[in-house]
Amino acid sequence: MNLRDHKIYRIQEIRELTESAFILRFDRHGLNFMAGQHILIGLEGSSELREYSVYSGEKDDFLEILVKEVETGMVSKQLKKLKVGDPVQVESAVGFFRINKEDIDKKLLFIASGTGIAPFHSFIKSYPGINHTLLHGIRYSHEAYESESYEDFRYISCVSKDQKGVFKGRVTDYLKQNRIEENTLVYLCGNSDMILECKDLLEEQGISNESIYTEVYF
Amino acid sequence: MKKIAFKTLGCRLNQFETDSIVSQFHHGDYEIVDFSEVADVYVVNTCTVTKQGDSRSRQAVNFANRKNPDSLMVVTGCMVNNHMDNSQNLQDVTYFVKNEQKSSIFHIVESHLGGEMIIPSDLKPDTFNYSPADKTMHTRSMIKIQDGCDNFCTFCIVPKVRGRAVSRPPHDIMENIRKVLDFGFKEIILTGVNIGRYDSQDWNFEKLLESIVEISGDFRVRISSIEPDGYGDRFIELLQHPKVTPHLHLCLQSGSDRILLQMKRMYTSSEYRNIIDKIKREIPDFNFTTDIMVGFPGETEKDFQQTVSMVEEIGFSHVHTFKYSIRNGTRAARMEDQIRGNVKSDRSEIIRKLAEENKLTYRRTFIGKDQRVLIEKINRKGIAKGYGQHYIPVEFPANSYSRNDFAEVQIKEINRGKEPVLVGVV
Repeated sequence: MNLRDHKIYRIQEIRELTESAFILRFDRHGLNFMAGQHILIGLEGSSELREYSVYSGEKDDFLEILVKEVETGMVSKQLKKLKVGDPVQVESAVGFFRINKEDIDKKLLFIASGTGIAPFHSFIKSYPGINHTLLHGIRYSHEAYESESYEDFRYISCVSKDQKGVFKGRVTDYLKQNRIEENTLVYLCGNSDMILECKDLLEEQGISNESIYTEVYF
Repeated sequence: MKKIAFKTLGCRLNQFETDSIVSQFHHGDYEIVDFSEVADVYVVNTCTVTKQGDSRSRQAVNFANRKNPDSLMVVTGCMVNNHMDNSQNLQDVTYFVKNEQKSSIFHIVESHLGGEMIIPSDLKPDTFNYSPADKTMHTRSMIKIQDGCDNFCTFCIVPKVRGRAVSRPPHDIMENIRKVLDFGFKEIILTGVNIGRYDSQDWNFEKLLESIVEISGDFRVRISSIEPDGYGDRFIELLQHPKVTPHLHLCLQSGSDRILLQMKRMYTSSEYRNIIDKIKREIPDFNFTTDIMVGFPGETEKDFQQTVSMVEEIGFSHVHTFKYSIRNGTRAARMEDQIRGNVKSDRSEIIRKLAEENKLTYRRTFIGKDQRVLIEKINRKGIAKGYGQHYIPVEFPANSYSRNDFAEVQIKEINRGKEPVLVGVV
């Protein structure tokens, strides 16, 4: 049956990253997903669920999501109040923002803004050894969520409002100043303005639409 | 003999499901009557995809209640799944049956009339437990191959009311098709919520279609509404197969990449154009129809003009225009910058007029050409009516032809009524 089944999971760990961003880890309960997919999550018994990309790897025995509390939001505020041991309601994973099997050995460029880094964290954990570069667009360098978990030369923080980034400026500035190698597959995840601007810039560099995959965050 | 009447709102999937249920009642001790007549039992198969769908569904239930306040009233379909709490406010409904128990309606009604009340939600859910319908109102037989959707477009309530994508096993589909061909159907329509994402037992949509056209017999296959993603070039090759009709209802929704992204559609306007171009290169007179949604939150005049340009450029022969309406529980419902109703109406009207012009222009191109028409009915004046392979209505003197025959018709002219019909001779 195809009904949207949901199960109750218990929070195992909470990692505070900034004042508003945090990682929730909870039981896996055998939930299958492919890196890049998202789950729907909310409080136990609530009809208000939100989509969050899975942050953890396919082989991890837990699930993690990266949450940023939104000032005007509802569910992110509820999630922020959770404590270890609290229950959450989770629906199974869906989504097509994935790396195709035949592309796994290709040169990959991941471009994220803010919490849009979550699916890329999952890609990198799930597929060790992939030939990738990760551009992370953030306003302040302290928003480089768990940047120590990435190989130095593969992680490029693009910081627009302080001087501590690997690159000073937005990801679009980076693309204007750096040529992307032909035959690179580009994965974009974040707000729609960033995605549209990056697509235009990539197109100017000769990267075809067919080589670009997107996941919009709101 | 009990009289039973049916009303179906919304999509082809609903129509397929109603057809199957009607067929069960045909074989039982029931007289099927028009929904406008007084009946002992009414079945309303509802739609909730837009606010208008909800409204029409409620109107149908209220209409039936006025016709016969003592009737056994069964309300099913997506509105029930979406608004279980609110739909309980509808008066005098005997049974609310969710989509997943819809195939048990015959059993529910039979039990009720036999004195046993069944709680529909206690019944085993089953998405595909529909028998092939041998007696329907149509000469085309719909084949349900898939249900539900995993795309989670931000405006769409379907994943909530139809559930996650699930595909019917290929063996069941093939058996269903063979059965309806044995019943005498000559056209089958592959139906589902997102059929391009068909995925069962390592069969994708192309493999399924390839196997269907290999079935022997004089029949044709129509692909109903399909999303412009999830299939490859093999699909384009299969569209050239003589059994596959040259028509697709390829959902566009918007010509603006910004809006497509906000909608979380799986394609850009240029990717959509590429599909159209590839198909047109192989089949220049291919018939494209589409869905357009106007007034999505944040849709600017510039975004809308991009949609208008695309409708003009592609020349869709039919456009189903929706005015965006808030569906609670979807992402778009929480978006700012909702568009005013009058703006949506104006935009809808612009698309409607343009689509009418396109329709006439496209259909005129068939004058002087042949169409293979499946005759749906022959009126008292001996005029046969049906659809050609491009899914355009055609009329012609029936001569010796009968209903459900294929006829090779040479198109002579176009009848410019509200719905332009091709007129021809055999």
